[in-house]
Amino acid sequence: MKIDMVDGPGGVVVLKPEGRLNMVAAPAVREAVSSIVDSGRSRVAVDLSGVEFIDSSGLGALISGLKTTRQAGGDLRIAGANDQVKLVLSLTNLERVLTPYDTVENAYGDA
Amino acid sequence: MSDMVTRTVRLTAPPDTVDTVHDLLDALWPSVPDVSARDRMSLDTAIIELAANVIQHANRGKPITATLTVIAFPDRIEATLSDSGEVGEVDIEGRSMPAADELAESGRGIALMKALVDTVEHRRVDGFNHWTLVREREQVRQPDAPPRHLPSVSISGIIDEMARQRALEEMGILDSPPEDRFDRVTRLAKQLFGVGGAKINLIDGDRQWSKSTAGYGDEVVPRDKAVCAVTIEDDRTFVVQDLLADPLLADRGVPGEVEFYAGHPLQAPGGERIGALCVYDGKPRQFSEREKEMLRDLADWVQQELTASHELSRAAEVQQGLLPQSLISMPDWDIAGMCLPARAVGGDFYDWYPVGEGAAITLADTMGKGIGSAIIAATVRAVLRSAARFGDVAGAVDLAAASLNADLDTTGLFVTLLHGRLDMDSGEFTYVDAGHGLTVVARRDGAIERLRSHTPPLGVDLETEWQSHSVILNPGDVLVTASDGLLDLYDGTLDALDKIGALALLASTSAEVTDAVRARARGVAPDDVTVVVVRRDG
Repeated sequence: MKIDMVDGPGGVVVLKPEGRLNMVAAPAVREAVSSIVDSGRSRVAVDLSGVEFIDSSGLGALISGLKTTRQAGGDLRIAGANDQVKLVLSLTNLERVLTPYDTVENAYGDA
Repeated sequence: MSDMVTRTVRLTAPPDTVDTVHDLLDALWPSVPDVSARDRMSLDTAIIELAANVIQHANRGKPITATLTVIAFPDRIEATLSDSGEVGEVDIEGRSMPAADELAESGRGIALMKALVDTVEHRRVDGFNHWTLVREREQVRQPDAPPRHLPSVSISGIIDEMARQRALEEMGILDSPPEDRFDRVTRLAKQLFGVGGAKINLIDGDRQWSKSTAGYGDEVVPRDKAVCAVTIEDDRTFVVQDLLADPLLADRGVPGEVEFYAGHPLQAPGGERIGALCVYDGKPRQFSEREKEMLRDLADWVQQELTASHELSRAAEVQQGLLPQSLISMPDWDIAGMCLPARAVGGDFYDWYPVGEGAAITLADTMGKGIGSAIIAATVRAVLRSAARFGDVAGAVDLAAASLNADLDTTGLFVTLLHGRLDMDSGEFTYVDAGHGLTVVARRDGAIERLRSHTPPLGVDLETEWQSHSVILNPGDVLVTASDGLLDLYDGTLDALDKIGALALLASTSAEVTDAVRARARGVAPDDVTVVVVRRDG
């Protein structure tokens, strides 16, 4: 899986995975978040607009990232989720902890 | 059905991953008419969860193979995944969604599947896991949608059918000749109920085959025209007073021949419903509770007979397993044997095993056919095998005869036997022929020599002094020994031995000779046929 990493506004790092976020791709997402935290930053936005599909392994990777960033005093937020991603978030009751924002800009809009 | 769409993919993981499954699904959806975005999304997710679960957990690091089939029906979509993983009990019921604030990174797969589709089922059949997912399609949930005809095929049905077909085939009864033990039941049923016909029907793939018929009726009927094919869908007696008046069954009736039907399912030893005992008549009629009970009793009887055949065929497997499976390694020698019992089991056997610088070779024929002879044959084989470890050929036969005499006397049976030892370097074959006399040596130059029998069969005369004789097999010579069943395949006289000897000289391997005899004997041999061929290359 291809994952773009760019610096966004307010010191937020934006991760943009493309394609299917499943058990094949999940480890790359975990590693990307870990590398960001290791480099001393902890505010991450995951831009899901290029993700066509997510499964529970993909969710697991996002939750792992959420825990990693929070332990470092930051957060992980998601944006641009399609209907399938929103369906999975809703059925797994994870909307509260991984609230889907429309855009990356809105994700840290409160900050 | 034109709007039913099926796709199947075989997976081997590694190297296949869930992406292989994604690609199948992406290719499937354009062919499914009117699939809603929600159905598609839900099934994509549930099927990927299932595939991931199997690939990840099934075998803990060992490669797995799996077959995924997706069938889109007008009213529902079913997916089944059959995999080779070693999974024990799967608690689908008990899997609930982990609470969100626990921030668990795994453990949501099965709960998610349950939330996405209407049925999640796991079964273990024949060492495979079969997972089935079913989702009712959204469009037919609309109250105004017209009712649709549901095809009777479904994936769990396919799995049951696979198990059923295998059980039926294992019984080895399909296309077997008529047997009185079954015909007796159908004759009785026909008389007892005063109907036009009675049958024992087996449902085999897409046809119905009758093992026994009393009265009229075809031996083979397409499955979709057979009423018994409906009977086996349930374990109760199925009665239709007037087939032609029943819109769902009318096309299975035959006016004036099969208008009334009553049938009770027949089970394989494992419980699979493989067919039915049925009675039928050319005009509609009633069938009382008491008659149902009698039909059930008769069906139980048929089932007992079927089980007996099954046990007999297992006995046959055991007996075939007693024959030498592997070749002994003797440079420049080529040995082959075959044993074809007239019934499931028989009184013939052959045997060989290494002894010193060569091999012991035996061919024996117990008088009679069937199970009694088979038990004695197994005993003779065991006794000779242990006796062959002591002393010479005559000594071995003497020891075996002494231990068998009491048994043979009690059972009133006797055994003809050729037992010999081959020295692979000199080509000398030293043998005792106990009333057998069906051995020839075909010489390279075309001469055929019969080996004489000098002593009576085992079990005839307790005072027999066993004497061995010997013959030298030179390069290019072939020794053939057979049971008397072989003679029946030719003209019934000893000339058959000359013919088989001549055949052996023409053949380039020993197995060619045994294959030729097997082909000649198949289906026509009235007696057990056993042949051993020993050729010295050169």
